[in-house]
This record gives sequence, C-alpha cells and structure tokens, in this order.
Amino acid sequence: MQPPPISFWHRAQQIPRHYIYLLLAAVVVWQLLFPIRLPIAPSVATRGVYDAIAAVPDDQLILISTDWDASTEAETAPQTQTVIEACFQQKKRFCIMNLQPPMGVKLAHDIAQKTAARYGARYGVDWCNWGYKYGYDNVLMAMAKNIPKAIGGDFYGKPVASLPMMEGVKDVKSIGLVVEITGLSGLTEMWIGLIQGPYRVPFASAYTAVMAPGYYPFLDSGQMKGMLVGAKGAAEMEVLVKRPGKATDIMNVQSWAHVLIIALILVGNAGYVLARVRAGGRER
Amino acid sequence: MGGSLEHANWFMTVLFCAMSAVIVASVVLAQRGRAMFIRPIPGLAAIDEAVGRATEMGRPMFFSTGLHGITIVTLQALAILAHIVRLAAAHATRLIVATASSTLLPVAEESVREAYAAAGRPESYRADDVRFVSDDQFAYALGSIGIMARDRTATNFFFGSFFAEALVLTENGRALGALQVAGCPDPTQIPFFIATCDYVVIGDEYYAASAYLTREPTLTGSLVGQDIVKAAIILLVLVGAAIATYLGAADAGAHNPLLKLLAQGG
Amino acid sequence: MAHLFDPAGTTHALIVYLALSLVASFLLLLALHRLLGPRGRRWLVVLVTFVGGLFFGLEWFYPAHGHPSKNFLTEWIEPVSNMLAVVGAFTVGLGIYSLTQVHGRNVLRRRIGWHNSAAFFLAMVAMLVFTLWEHYLRLPQPTPKLVPWPKGVYEILFNGIFMPLQAATFSLLAFYIASAAYRAFRIQTAEAGLMMAAAFIVMLGQVPFGAWLTSALPEVGSPLAFFRLEKLGEWVMSWLNTPAQRGITFGIAVGALAMSLRIWLSLERGTFFSEQS
Repeated sequence: MQPPPISFWHRAQQIPRHYIYLLLAAVVVWQLLFPIRLPIAPSVATRGVYDAIAAVPDDQLILISTDWDASTEAETAPQTQTVIEACFQQKKRFCIMNLQPPMGVKLAHDIAQKTAARYGARYGVDWCNWGYKYGYDNVLMAMAKNIPKAIGGDFYGKPVASLPMMEGVKDVKSIGLVVEITGLSGLTEMWIGLIQGPYRVPFASAYTAVMAPGYYPFLDSGQMKGMLVGAKGAAEMEVLVKRPGKATDIMNVQSWAHVLIIALILVGNAGYVLARVRAGGRER
Repeated sequence: MGGSLEHANWFMTVLFCAMSAVIVASVVLAQRGRAMFIRPIPGLAAIDEAVGRATEMGRPMFFSTGLHGITIVTLQALAILAHIVRLAAAHATRLIVATASSTLLPVAEESVREAYAAAGRPESYRADDVRFVSDDQFAYALGSIGIMARDRTATNFFFGSFFAEALVLTENGRALGALQVAGCPDPTQIPFFIATCDYVVIGDEYYAASAYLTREPTLTGSLVGQDIVKAAIILLVLVGAAIATYLGAADAGAHNPLLKLLAQGG
Repeated sequence: MAHLFDPAGTTHALIVYLALSLVASFLLLLALHRLLGPRGRRWLVVLVTFVGGLFFGLEWFYPAHGHPSKNFLTEWIEPVSNMLAVVGAFTVGLGIYSLTQVHGRNVLRRRIGWHNSAAFFLAMVAMLVFTLWEHYLRLPQPTPKLVPWPKGVYEILFNGIFMPLQAATFSLLAFYIASAAYRAFRIQTAEAGLMMAAAFIVMLGQVPFGAWLTSALPEVGSPLAFFRLEKLGEWVMSWLNTPAQRGITFGIAVGALAMSLRIWLSLERGTFFSEQS
C-alpha cells in the first residue's frame, strides 16, 4: 500500500532551510540594490543619548568606551560613528577607550580619524584615544581617582597627560558623560557600579539589539540617560545628527528581513493549523 | 541622594546577612534530616534520557562550558558536567568537553577525572576528550561545531555563559541531528536555546541543578533557602511599591525620610 | 605593605625577584607534597578558598570612610586583583599545550581529518610570528603608506582574514534565526499566541516598515497614538519586558549568592571535592 501523499499544508511546515536562507539573502540583496526608504523617527531612548551629549559642560570630557569588535561591527560601528558625529557637531571634547576586546579601539580610532578630518578636528585638542586598557574594574577604580596615572599612554604610546586637551584633567570629576558602546555583557554593570553610581557621572549606552532588552531596567531607573538599540538606534541618531549613513541603509534591509521572517512564521503556522483541520476532517 | 557602591552601606549589609542567614539555616535544617521538596525541572530530568540516547546509538556526547573562565556560572556547569560524566561512565559512553578558557581547562580536566574515578571507571578518562578550543567567541563556536560534526555526537549539552555564539552552536547541532539540552542563567540567549534545543533550563533553575541532580541535603537546603529569600524580596517589592505609591500620592517631597530610605537604603 | 606588589624598578631587582619566587614556589610545593596527604591537601584548598572569599567580602562589607571610601583592606584590592590576573595569564600556555597535544596527535597518527589539524598549526604559527614581528617593527604612528612586508602580511591575516571571518560568522545568525523561528514558533497554546503577538509587535516596531504601517494614526495628542507600532513596541519593552527582566535578575542574583556561599564554605559537591572525605 502506498503512503498517503504529503499535503501542501504539511509541506508548508517543512520548507527546507536552504530555501529560507536563499530567500533571506535575496531580500537583503534586493534592498541593498533597490532600497525602499521609509522615514525613521527617533525614539525617546535615542533622544536621551543625544541630549546627554548636548548637556555636557564645555570644561568636561565625554568618555566613549568602544568595547566591540568586528563581529558586531554592523551595529556598533554606526553607533560609534553617530555618537562621534554628535560630539564634533556640538563641539564637545571626547576620548575613546577600550576595555575589551582590544581590536575595538583600532576600529573606533579609524572612525574617529575619518570623521575628524571632515570637521577639521585635531587629535589631542578636540579628541584623543586612550587606547586599550587591560584590567576591567581595576582600570575604572584607578581612573576614578587619577586618570593620567591610570591611563598612562594613549593609542600612540604618548603620555595622555602631555595632550593639550588633558590639561587639568585629574579624576572622574573631569568626565561629564560616559557612553558605553558594546556587544558584550557585564561591562555596563561595572561602569554603573564603579563610576555612575558612586560618582554620579551621567551614563549612556549603545548595544546590539539582542542584548538591549536586558538593559531596559537601567534606563527605566534613570541610571542611564539614554540607550541606542542596535542598528535602529544608530539610524535614529543619524536622523538627529542629520547625516544618513550605513545604519539607515541597514534599516531598509532589516525592515524587509523582519517582514520575511514574520511571513515565514505565518506560513508555518497556517500549515500547522490547516493540516490539523484537514486531518480532523478526514477522521470524522 | 544615593550612597557609594564602592562599599556596602548598612542596608546592604543587613540584607546580605539576613539572606545568608536564611540560606545557611535552611542548609542546617536539611542536614538534620528535614525533608524538602523540589519540583520537577524538565531540562535537568532530560539529562538521563539524553545520555541514554547516545548510549543506544553508540555515539559520543558533547559538553560545552560556554565562554567564561572560572565564574559562578561555569562552576555550576562543572557540577552538572560531573553528574553527566558519572552517567556516561556507568554506560561506557564517551563524552567530549570543550572549554573556551585556558584558565578553566585544568579545573575541567580535574573535575572530569574525579567524576570518572568516583564512578569507579578511572581508566575511562581520556585527556584528549577535555579540550581547550579557543577563547575567541566564534572561533570557539566553529571549533565546537567541527567536533560535533567529525565525532557525530548524538547528544549535545550546553551549560554555562553563552552569548551570540549560542545560536550558531545549537542550530548546527540540530542540523546534525543531535538531541540538545541547554542551560544558561542569562535570559538573553534563552530564546535561541528554546528555538533550537529539545530541553532548556531557564534562569535560576540553572543554579538549582546541583541540588536537583544529587539530592544532597546541603544543596537541597540551600535551594529551599533561596526560595524563601525570593519570597521575602517579592514581599519587600510589594511593600516598597505600596509605600512609594502612597508617598507619591501624598506628594511627600524629596526630604521625606521614608522616601530617602526607599531610594537609597540608608 | 601593599607596596610589596609594586613592579620591580630595575632589571637586576626583577631577576632577583623572579629567582627568589621560583625557588620559594618550588620549596613550597615540595613541602606541601611531602607533608600533606590527600586529606591535608583538601583542607588546604578549603582554607585558601575561605580566605580568598573572606578577603573580597570583608573589603566590601567592612565600614569604609572618606571619599573615595576606604577601609584597611582597600589598598590591597588592586595588587591582589592584578596578581590574580597574572596567574590567569599564565594559563594561556596551558591552552596552547592542550591544543598542540590534541592536534599534534591527529597529524602524527594521520587520523581522519588530520589536514584540519595541520591547518590549525599553520594558522597559529603564522599569526603568532607575524603579530610579534609587526609589533617589534615599532613602526611610527600614524603608519606610513609604504610598510615593510611583515606588516603587510599581518594586515592580510588580521584585517583581511580574521576580522571578516568574525563578521561573517556573526552574520550567520541572521540566517539561523530565520530558520529557527520558522521551525520552532507554532501557536499550540494561548500563551504561545500571546508570545507571537508580542514578538510581531516588537519586530515591526523596531523597523521603519512597522512605523509606516500605522503612520495614519496620530503621533501625539490622541489615545490612538498608543497603537502606533513603534510606540506599542516601546511599551512592550518598557512595561512588560523590564519588570520580567528585573524579576529574572533578582532570581539569578539570589541563586548566585547561594552558589557563592556554598563554594566559599566548601559545601558544593562534585566539582572539586570527591565523594569520599
């Protein structure tokens, strides 16, 4: 006896994953080549970051901790770009540093260099790079008390104290805002526990979309002034700094990728429900 | 407003001492023979089934300890690993362990060796089966997938700290046809485990693992103590929310001592 | 006393410290091996664990004064943490040894897939050699346009191979989540249906397409504004997700506290302590 033919609705539940991957790749390529641009409205969380940068007094620095690497570059690089743009536009002096992984400081340095050239900003006067500092909480605790001693040399190996913008910078009181841009868990808790909490230094952050939900409690409690969530947050910052860039392109692609995933889930569930209905009908 | 977090204030000290006292008291009660109930945890109960599947198929098992080195999460993973090794030894099933931390490697080796010895099968321990793969996140994931594919593991266990590589590991493990059991206290990766694994241990079920698997009075007592502490926290949250709502409604003002106590704990 | 952990000032002092440390470590290990049996070694582990945990716990709980706050243990935290970091760094050698052992055996015995192990050695040696070579070239900063060839090879290996591989592997997640979501999300119960609805709202609220779908609704000044997908998504994240995350965090923190107490007091079984006492 031949087995019953597999119904269309059963097949709808078992689309081979290779076809799903091909479909997704096709959607990504389509949107990269023929983008359908839709307006992006900044959220409250993103505005928080922008406003926090604007609120930094001129005699204080912004510290941007770029704790990301190539794996999360698609989200964290545009986030870093837009935060640096906002700093340059509002003429706020900033320093980049990195706690982990080490390659992040070079990637962020390249972004800052390219952006500085556009604004005519000078290294050591308008911005600087403190480099990769090993030690996690030890670095933060030491920095809170004495920044030049804790940081030592900058990205190029020169003593940070010799940079013009570091004149008068002694301890954590010289920092007007910390912006943590990362794809790693655990670092935010250190910044909040050792810098934001005890010294009341304003803190803002930027995360990959996957890890952001876990940090909403900090935003809700006021420990964070604002938060950029994934490429969406970066795209919203691009709207605020009025420079559409990579993040806006990514959002076009992400829109349709989400639509495809939702469509696939609906097809799978339609197949599941209708297959059961038909099987129930046959039994009766 | 707000106290320093570099050191504990009096409120935290009192809270910590109270919580620790409850947990230790519960342990003492359990050691004195008091029976304590633990509800079934499907993910942990499935470990026996998972080991049995690998034994029937005559294929090895794979255990991933996640990314971090010697942390609370990884030490708990090693406790679960020790239980699985004892089961594997009893069934003469091979178990391959992959770590992403060179600091953890000697600890994992010792843990596995002791577990085989405790099961009466010290000769079953193979040094090559406890490996350091890489401390780079995705290099670790790809190296582990290579182990799963080349050794055709029938069962995969993922217990420890996992991040973005979790989905890469588990989706490939699923595509290779393995039964998968995962556990991670961090909620970020749980959705990916649920979509790709057969059984998942969620949140603080993870910390209940060693008590659940061994049923030792000390560990069971600790687990019950945790539950009592959690109930007390829920009560504190409700009381605090009620008081804060009342003070907000009464427009108490920033200098109200009760409001300050709620805000900073001292 | 904390100055005991300050780095050596001169090369001579460094050599003396190293030599003394090696001799002292050797003698200590010999004494422990000879004088302590298995039971004694177990108790030593228990004691070291207890003192280690006590140090960090006491430093945090002991009353502190001043700004920044300090107590009698605070000045020891940094040198002890640095010491632990150095000890941890030595274990990198253990990791390399383990990898060399496993892959070395594969190559020497020509096991199936031995070419993968050979590729591992090639990649490890190449990266090690050219990274160290590039470092000791001590090129001026900013890097000149024309660079020595080892720097070029390093750039190819690191920026040309390693970084794109990392990014590509992370990108695989997009494909995997699509296939995992399609396969796993079936509305089999009412709770699953609720979860699906929340997922759709958040997914669409995160992208401009979702905002466009409900763009006909007013942005502000009307109760209907709440039903714009981006606002609904934010509401789900702030009012449903946040309390749930807080609850999970409380539970995990209590679990971690209990686990820490068990390890500190050496009550944990099956990890470091054999069943026989």
